[in-house]
Order: sequence, then C-alpha cells, then structure tokens
Amino acid sequence: MSSANGVCRTLLGAAVWLAGAVALAAGPAPPAELHVVDHPNDAGTALDLRWQLSPDDQPDVTPRKVLRYDILRQAAAPGAPVPANGPAFQVIGEATYGAAKFTDPNCVRGTAYWYQVVAVAPGGGRSLAAASTAPAVPVMQLFDATRLWFGLLLGVVCLLILACIARARSGRPMHMRRIAGLEAVDEAVGRATEMGRTCLFVPGVQDINDMMTVAGLTVLARVAQTAAEYDSRVEVPTSRSLVMTAARETMQAAYAAAGRPEAYREDSVYYLTDEQFGYAAGVTGQMVRERPAACFYFGAFYAESLYLAETGNLIGAIQIAGTAESSQLPFFVAACDYTLIGEEFFAASAYLSGEPQQLGTLLGQDLGKLLGAALIVAGSVLATLGQLGPDGGSAAAGLRYLMNSILGSG
Amino acid sequence: MTSLTPAQIRVIVATDCGSTTTKAILIQYLDGQYRQTHRGEAPTTVEEPVADVTVGVVNALTELGELAGRRLIDDAGQIIRPATADAGCDIYISTSSAGGGLQMMVCGVVREMTGASAKRAALGAGAIVMEVLAANDRRRPHEQIQRIRELRPDMILISGGTDGGNLNQVVQIAELVAPAKPQPRFGGGYKMPVIFAGNRDAAPLVQQVFDDSVDLAIVDNLRPVLERENLGPARDKIHDLFLDHVMAHAPGYDKLIAWTDAPIMPTPGAVGNILETIARRQKINVVGVDIGGATTDAFSVFDGKFNRTVSANLGMSYSISNVCAEATLPSILRWVHFDMNERALRNRVKNKMVRPTTIPQTEEALVFEQAVAREALRLAYVQHREFATALKGVQQQRSVGDAFRQTAGGQCLIDNMRLDLLVASGGVLSHAPRMQQTAAMLIDAFEPEGVTTLAKDSIFMMPHLGVLAEVHPQAALEVFEKDCLVYLGTCIAAKGRGKPGRECFQYAVHTETGTITGAISCGEMRVVPLLPDARARLDLHPARGFDLGAGPGKPLECEVRGGTVGLIFDGRGRPLELPADHAACQALTSRWVAALDLYGGRATAAPAAS
Amino acid sequence: MSQAYTPGLKVVARERLRRRRVLPLPGEVLVQAGQRVAARDVVAHSLMPGDVTPVNVANLLSIAPGEVPRAMLRHEGDRLTIGEPLARSQGLFGLFKTECPARIAGTIESISSVTGQIMVRGEPHRVLVDAYLAGEVVEVLPESGAVIEADATFVQGIFGIGGEAFGPVERACPDPAHDLTPALLTPAMRGAVVVGGARVTAEALAAAVRLGVAAIVTGGIDDQDLRDFLGYDLGVAVTGNEPVGLTLIITEGFGDIAMAERTYQLLAARAGAAAALNGATQIRAGVLRPEIVIPWPDMQAASAAPVAAGGVLRRGATVRIIRDPYFGVIGTVGRLPAEPQVLGSGSKARVLEVVASSGEVFIVPRANVELIES
Repeated sequence: MSSANGVCRTLLGAAVWLAGAVALAAGPAPPAELHVVDHPNDAGTALDLRWQLSPDDQPDVTPRKVLRYDILRQAAAPGAPVPANGPAFQVIGEATYGAAKFTDPNCVRGTAYWYQVVAVAPGGGRSLAAASTAPAVPVMQLFDATRLWFGLLLGVVCLLILACIARARSGRPMHMRRIAGLEAVDEAVGRATEMGRTCLFVPGVQDINDMMTVAGLTVLARVAQTAAEYDSRVEVPTSRSLVMTAARETMQAAYAAAGRPEAYREDSVYYLTDEQFGYAAGVTGQMVRERPAACFYFGAFYAESLYLAETGNLIGAIQIAGTAESSQLPFFVAACDYTLIGEEFFAASAYLSGEPQQLGTLLGQDLGKLLGAALIVAGSVLATLGQLGPDGGSAAAGLRYLMNSILGSG
Repeated sequence: MTSLTPAQIRVIVATDCGSTTTKAILIQYLDGQYRQTHRGEAPTTVEEPVADVTVGVVNALTELGELAGRRLIDDAGQIIRPATADAGCDIYISTSSAGGGLQMMVCGVVREMTGASAKRAALGAGAIVMEVLAANDRRRPHEQIQRIRELRPDMILISGGTDGGNLNQVVQIAELVAPAKPQPRFGGGYKMPVIFAGNRDAAPLVQQVFDDSVDLAIVDNLRPVLERENLGPARDKIHDLFLDHVMAHAPGYDKLIAWTDAPIMPTPGAVGNILETIARRQKINVVGVDIGGATTDAFSVFDGKFNRTVSANLGMSYSISNVCAEATLPSILRWVHFDMNERALRNRVKNKMVRPTTIPQTEEALVFEQAVAREALRLAYVQHREFATALKGVQQQRSVGDAFRQTAGGQCLIDNMRLDLLVASGGVLSHAPRMQQTAAMLIDAFEPEGVTTLAKDSIFMMPHLGVLAEVHPQAALEVFEKDCLVYLGTCIAAKGRGKPGRECFQYAVHTETGTITGAISCGEMRVVPLLPDARARLDLHPARGFDLGAGPGKPLECEVRGGTVGLIFDGRGRPLELPADHAACQALTSRWVAALDLYGGRATAAPAAS
Repeated sequence: MSQAYTPGLKVVARERLRRRRVLPLPGEVLVQAGQRVAARDVVAHSLMPGDVTPVNVANLLSIAPGEVPRAMLRHEGDRLTIGEPLARSQGLFGLFKTECPARIAGTIESISSVTGQIMVRGEPHRVLVDAYLAGEVVEVLPESGAVIEADATFVQGIFGIGGEAFGPVERACPDPAHDLTPALLTPAMRGAVVVGGARVTAEALAAAVRLGVAAIVTGGIDDQDLRDFLGYDLGVAVTGNEPVGLTLIITEGFGDIAMAERTYQLLAARAGAAAALNGATQIRAGVLRPEIVIPWPDMQAASAAPVAAGGVLRRGATVRIIRDPYFGVIGTVGRLPAEPQVLGSGSKARVLEVVASSGEVFIVPRANVELIES
C-alpha cells in the first residue's frame, strides 16, 4: 500500500513539473521575493506568506494576464539543502490576482516548510516560481496577544468578584437592593395565614434541567420555610415528575430548617400533567375552588402565564411572580402584586441565602456589567464624534481601536 | 353625669393624676370663648400611707380654688356642682396614669398583621404594650407560655384571623393563654380581663377554652378583613375594662370614678385623643411627643390615620442609661459643642439613673442632658416610624408601568415633608431654660422637612383637653389653640444634600412691617425673629436639588406663624448628617449653637469645669 | 411643691425592722407566731405548677384535629412517663396504625379537638421562702408566709446587683476613702460580707468571686468596671437576678467616691455579726433600694417605731449632694431661700445651701440633695 502511494505521489509531482515546463514559454512574469514568517498568536499551526505581485498582474490591464497565484509547499527534512523545483512541491492553496499574501493554516508545529508561489495566466500558463529562501517553521505562542484586552477585562472582573467575596466574608455590611417581591413573601404568607387559606406555589412548566425551574425551587424553600413558621399550608402542583421530587425534597428541608419537620405533608406537592394547557387548566381550577390567599409563580412560563395570574388576581390573592421569560413578564407585571424580572430572579438565591460567597459574586458580576456598560457608552460617544468630524480623526481611530483591538477579537 | 348641654357649660375642672403629681386646671367661659385660667397641683396619693387618689385630687382642687378665688370643694370634701357665680364647676373630668398606667399584653396570629393591629388598638387606648405574642414570633409554644406567666399585665387582648378566616391558630393562642393563668398586676383581687377581638367564628371556641378564672369579653374583630382595621370596639372595651377592673382596684378610684362627668381615660390615650381631634378639625398632619423619665410616647396623625407608640426604655432619668447604651455615647456627644470627659460622663449617667430626680445645675450638664434628649427622641421617632405603617397583607394594584418601581406593602405613613405641626411635651422639652433649646432639640431629633410649625405644651395640659374633647370638643379646641400650645415658631428646612457653603435656598419674609430677604447656604442655620401672634408670607426659592415642599428646585409661597423663637431657616440638608470627625463636628455644632443663640453669651466657649 | 420632700437613704444603728416573707402562690407555712428563726430557716414552702408544653398530636399522627380525642390512649388528668404511648391513629381498616410516644413527663391538662394539640404540664417546682431576717415570727399569714421582726442595724445602698446573700461582716478597707483592691481580699473572707471603702475595682470583684465572697458593700464603682463585671451595659436600674457570683451593694454612687463616714463606722462596728443583704434595686414608681440588715441578738423593748422613708429638709439636717459638680459632698443644710434662683444652666429652681464639714458652702438645687437619715 505504501509503495503504491509513493508511486502515485511521484507520478503526480512529475505531472505538475511537466505542466510547469510546458507553460513556461506562455506564462506571465513570475512573482518575486517570497517571504514566509510564522503566523502570530497561534498554536503553531499556520505560516504567513508574502510576495511581490507579478509585474504582469496589473489592475487596469484587460484582459488579465494573471488569473491567480498557486501556493506550493514542501515539508523539509531537518538540515536538507534547498530543494529544487520538483514533484515534492504540492499545491496547497491559491490566492486571487492582486493578492500578495496568503496564510497557510494547515501546518504542523515544529515542521520546516519550503514554499513556492506561481502566477497562473487565464489560459493556464504558469510563470516561474518565486521560492522561499529559507525553511519556515511554525511556532506556538504561549499567549494570544490579540486577546490581551479580553484577558485583562476578564481578569478585572474576576478580581472584582474575589474582592467582593473577601469583602462580604470580612463581615462588612453589604448593601443589596431590596427585592420587593421577596420581601413580600412574608406578607403574602401572612395573608394566607390570617385568612385561613393556603398558599399556592407554581414552579413553571419546564423540567428540572431548566435554570429557571432551579431558581424557582430556591424561592420555594423560602416560601415553605415562612409557611412553616406561620403554620400555613403550601400547595405545589407540578407538571414534571422530577420537579415534584425536587420540590418535595426542598419543602422537607425547609420545614426542618424552620424547626417544624412534623408539619411537612408530602402530598402537598403533587403531579398534575406534562401537558402545558392541561396543567394550566388544573391549576386555575384549583385556584377557583380553593381560593388560595397567596400565589407564587416562579419558573419558566409560556402562554399559561396570563391564565394563572389573571385567575389569581380574580380570587383576590397576593401574587408574586418571577421569570426570565421576557415575553411573559408584562403579563406578570400587570396582573401580579410583585414581579421578579429576569436577573432579579436569579439573584434571588444570593439574596435569600445571604451567603457571603453568593453575595460577593453577585456584587462582582454587577461591577463587571457596569464595566461593559461603560465600554458601550464610550463606543457610542466615539462613534458619534467620528461621524461629526470630516474624516473622523482621532475619534474614528479610537473607535477602530475599541472595536478591533479591545472588543473585536475578544 | 351631668345633664347640661354643651352651651350651658361655663366652668370646667380637669385633673390628671400622674404617678407623682396630680395636676388640676380650671377652664372658664370668658368674653365669648373658653380659656384656661388657673392651675394647681398636689402630690398624688395612690401609695401608702394615704392610699386614696381622691385625697390628692381634693388637695389639688383646693389649691386651684384658692388661686382662682372660687370655692370648688365643699365642707364634706365633695366637688361643688353645678357652678354658681363664685363657686363650683359645671363638669369635672380626669385622666390617670398613676401606678404605671395601663399595662397590656396583646396576641395576634401574624405579628405584622393582626398582632400589629391589636398593638395599635392597645396603644391607641393609652396602654403600654408589654408583649406581642404571635404564632410567627419564632418562639416555641412553651417559651410563649413561660413569657405569659412571667408578665403580670393588667389586661390581655387577643386577636387573630379575619372574619371567616383562620380558626385553628386563633384557638391555639387562646390555648396558650389559658393554662398560663396570667396573674393581674394588682394582685388576686379581681379576675384577669381578657378581650377577644379576632375571627368571629372562633369566638365560641375561645369561650370554651377559658374557664371562669378570667373575665372574657368578646367584641367585633379588629381586623374583619385584611384591608381594613376596626379598632374602635376593642379600644372602647379596653377603656371600659380599664375603669371596671384596673382603676376600680386602685386605691380610691371607685370614688373618683363616681365624681367624674366623663369616663376616666389613661393619660396617653387622652393626649392621643386631643391630637387626633386637632388634626381632624384643622386637616393637618401632626406629630406629638411626650418625653418622660422612663418612657417616651410618640403620636402621629397623618391623613387622618392615628398612631401612637411607647418607647418603654427611652427616657431622661430612669432610662437615661439605656438611651446611652442604645444610642452609644459618641452619637450623643456629636451634639455637644465642647470636650467632655467620657469616663466621668458615663459615671454621671449612671448616677442620674440611680438618682432620677436630680436636675442639671451647670450649663455643661444641661448641654449634655439635651444631647441625650435628642438621641432619645430620635430613637423614639425611629421606632414610631417603624410602627406607623399602612396595613400589611393587602393586595396591590399594578400596571405595566410599575415594572421597575414595585413598592412593598406596609409603607411608612410618616412623611416629614408633609408634617404641619410638631408638638413637644415632657420635662426636658417644656422646661428647657430657653425656647431655642426646645426648638433645636425638636429639629435635630425629628428632622422636619419643608415648612413645619413647632410648638410645646405649656403646662402639660393635653391630657385634660383630651378628655374634654369627648365632652365638649369646642372648649377643648379653643383652649388648645390659645392656652395649651406655646408656639416656638416655624422651621423651614430644605431636603437634599449639598457642599458646605453652596447656596441652599433664598427667602423673602413679608410681614406687615416690611420685607426681609436673604439666602441660606448649605450647613447654615439662621433665626429670623417673628413674634408669637404674628404671621408672615414666605417666598422661598430652593437651589437646584433642594426641596422645600413644592418639589426639587421649585419655588414655594406659604404663610407661616411666628413664635417665641421665630422663623428658623435650616440649610443643613436632609437627611441630617454630622461629620464623623470629632473636631469637625464640634466646629459645626458650635456654629449652630451660636446661630440659634442656644446657651447665651458663652455659647462657643467651653464652660468652666464647675 | 409647697414643701421640700426629699428622698433619703436610711443608715441606722438600731431599728425595729419587720419583713413580710411570702410565697408567690399559696402553700404551707412552717413556723408559728412567737418562734425565733435564723436567717436561713425556711418559713414557708409551696409547689409551683410545672411548665406547660403543648404537643401537637394531630401533626405527629398525621390525622385531623377532630380525631385526636378518639386517638388518645391517655386522658385528661393522666400522668405520663417518657416513652409510653400517648396516642394511636385509627389507621386504614385497622391497619397502618401510627403511635406517638410521650416525649416529656407530666400530666395531661387538656386535649383540644380544634387544634389537635394537648397540653402536658411538667413536674411541679418546689418553692422555698427563708426567714432572711433573723428574729421573731410575729405573725403567720395563712398559706402564704410570715412576718418577722427584729432589731437590726439597717443600711440602704443606692444601687446593687445580685439577690439575697448572707454572711458575717468583714472589714477589708482600713478607712472609707480607701479603694477596694484585690490585695485587701483574703481567703478568710470566703462566704463573708466584705465592707470596703471607696471605689471597688473590676479586679477586686473578680478576685472576690474567685475567693467565694458572699457580698461586697462599698462606696462606689466605675461604670466601666460594672460593665466589665456584668458583661453588658446596664440600661435600666432594675436588678436582683444577675448571675455574677456575688451580691454587690454601692452605698454612694458611680465613680471615685468614698463611703459616707457614718455608714462605714456603723458597718465596721458590727464586724463579725451575721448580716443579710439584698442587692435587688428597682428605680421606678415604687422604688426599691438594696439593703444591708444586721440583726442584733436581742430585742430592746423601747426601740424606735418604724419611720417612713423620706423626710423634710430643714436647717441642720445632714444631706448628700447627689449631682455634679459637687457630687458626693456631705454636709448640713444651711439657708433655704424660698424664692427660686437662676442656676448656671439657665433654669430656675429652688435651691439650698449645703455647709460641708470643711466649712465650705455650696449652693445647689433642692432636687440635687438627699437626706441621710439617722
């Protein structure tokens, strides 16, 4: 097999060589001064080629004398002399007319390569090859300098987070914006207690693999703990069996944390149906019959959001909702007493636990977002200034730098 | 009880039986209006060896009669009624706080809902609430029972559940109270009065829980639905039981009850009553404070909603050490404009605590005592604001526009910007040697915003007028306006913050005699004298970012009244913040002391050690 | 006020004292009228009803509250021991029955079908009342206690912490102006009532607790030392139950202040005698001051009648100035001007002259002195 392969290669090389020799007379003038250098900021897998265009490759001459440039390559054995034109050079790519550079992305790190560039005329006539004078070896760079800014920004955000965590751990009081919706949990459960009714908790229609469902269960822990303290009942209808199991675990832990494990009833968390509207119908039906005094909607919601929230409003319950599903937010905001919007919902777990690590992370991330916002503002200002001036001037240069160097490759 | 119509009442005698003195006032109908004409006082005689409150009352009325040249007590020791040209009175009324006032324990299901409503009902009736027991107060049931057994309240109020609502937990609370067998404070002479004002469905069950060792009264639910409070029936019942049980068992009160023409009210209840009446009649927002030796009472009426709180351990003598412990000494010393030795101060505070009747002899001691008063008032007001909130547990109405400003339920009712009248009473405030000192203490502690009238109760007459308002509102209001309040002036304070020295607002004071204009810079205070009966029109132009009531930077025109101090322009900004640096703070307070002329000529110089 | 009524602290060498010793609830009295009792003899005892613990049987058995009475195995009035079955659910067709054992001992007081909980009252506590005052029982209060009378040296302090204590009087400081320091305390003072002089230091208090001293009586204490000793800042002067290991009574006040000479001499003269004292202080309406009672072994027939506390200021009366700037000065009353005078603070008040033993004259508000009664 290997010998057959070798024969094939030799034959092919000979054919190319022959073709070159045939076209010699009719070929365009050759390109010159081929330089091959390592491609910067990579893992040593590419080389950059530059050459001077063939003198026949003129943009204003028609018909064109040069159609393209063929790039030929040969891997060199270490210490081998400069190879002559021969079948060992293979075409690995081509550049169009007018192009004087090429990047060969398919190199193996540490291997030396020889290159040749041949101008090809429309009729197929080939010029003499411009050859590299020394073998080029692709080298791996440890750092990708184009990502320097990105690395820097990332580092800053990480440091901020670490600093914030350290700050939180040091016991210094951290201000966290009050999330009215979570503060109101006590009020809602209290209302249910005073009125002798139940609390209803709806964890959404998605399965446990959805981030929103997980965040919703964090809130459930809080609701259940409050309910346990107030000795009020929480009902949790679920639309996925796994969510039911997770919710049961959460509730049990919450009742234990409140010091009333005996008050926990497993059957207050139950499964209705996987069917989206079957579930919505089941829950709303129950709302109308039992008239809970507090309804909580935390998780992923779709079209059923308005059915639930509107029914809850109708029965006079205090309603608190939280979802990151932006299309459903307006419905919740309008129909519920309190709504946790997007990020707030995810921040809830940090807010509820009050753990320094979570609080610090939250603060650090917020500072990172602030940084991002600052870059956007700076970009907008530069772009505006660039449009105002005749040629943009330094503002345009600044914008370019911002876009290409700071953000572009990030 | 008198059968006279209000128009026939011309001479009114009122007493307030305090824990140390019984104060009597005489109100007469002269020249077409009611005026308070004389006052007399005598030591209260509730304790041994006399043990009959009426002896003190007779002594006080005798002194009052001598001063007024009108015989009030006949030879048999009875009040002469009705009035003749030179003897007797048409009606006699009284309040009482002797023996520590009315002490209550209240219970509710949720502390912030029915618990808070029950507390409001008890406080409004003039009681001191010793404990709020609730299903969610995080105490185990046996701890709650232990607590009930330790306390010896005069009365217990149980609420919980809306009508048709919670049943189980309401009965559970009753089940906690019943076996604890709470003992009334004044010994075994009578049964513990228990008022049930909760879910009406639970009433029969609660009745079963209690045996006849307590005197159970059932009244309408004080929170029939969460959206509405109905405190009236519970409050009235507290007053009734206060008379029937608590008062009737205090020495001599059975006689006093027979003497009066209107039910005896607990003193703070009466004070609340008159403030509520004033606020309602004049359609203004009022905050009142009464700072005593052991406790500080705060009252507020905002948009017709009345609230009262008692800060049980904030006071100027018995509780002075507690004020220092709660506020911390550095916070108190920020109001003192010269250096003081901390160790000596701490010992002095404790000495005042163990010998509460002493009075400051030196200016240094006075400055310190007034600094303590500022902190006590500030803390009492903080507690008041925490309690004076809208009802909790109420459904909110929202629109999509509310997405980013969702306000929580149970917002504070108190808004300093909308406050119209701030009334001070209590020794350290009403007996301050200079009126400026009273005004400064009020402004520093309450931080009124915008335009606020400041007044003090001249001779602690509000309790008397509170009872009178029940019988003869017109007389009560006339006397309140003319004789009870001493107007200190009007405080004009800008809300907002600015760099010291920057302009805060400009003013023009138009009076009958001319116009005074000027500008106040940030951090500055200035007094413009305006006599007590004078009125002036103000044109105010706040700088950008400052609010005087019309909105940030918006000009305001208003009419204000003068007072013994005058108009006080306050450019210190709100919320008021003093520099943390000790020296900077002293320099600043020295400037304010000088601006208000608080302590006479030696204002800024540190007084001699003696 | 028409007359100057001034609170005062009693310091008397001999006085007929009466003490009512009563139980907080009805019980049995163990002494008879005329009987002589020692300070620690028990005069009455009673059983205080035990603590009540609610047990929610409905939750424990997962049944409706209405079913609880039927599920109960024990009934109202029954005694419970820990671990015995308390209630059993009916289960499904007699199967799957659940049982709940009693977790506390006591008596079932009530069973509720509304809330599903039962009330269990624990074992009663024994409450004892001792005589406190060594003397003679003059009256027996049926079912509640006794009145005891004795002649005693009686000293009221201004402030104290800790409850009742007993022990022989031991003098530690050589004179009343001497601070009470650890060096003055000896192991021999174990169980004694130590009489100091001026200020007691925090170290001395700690040393006294280590040595097992029963009580300390001295002139003053620094607020900081008190705070260190108690572990918190005392806000309101209502004391008597501090678990600090001894009873402390301050006779004059806070700060560097010497015990009044007379008080010191009186206590020093009774060195070795058995004293009873109570640090309980309550400065509120119905003021309660700490006291030191040192009964005399005999009763004199012609002893003075009890005098009501408090008295009238008159020329020549001994008073103590109780407020800065002259805090602690003891002297006699000089002139008593009738008209109010303006004080340094700017307020007006009625004043008096106090002539100190050095001959110096101080003018102070009348509210700022207290009578030292004799």
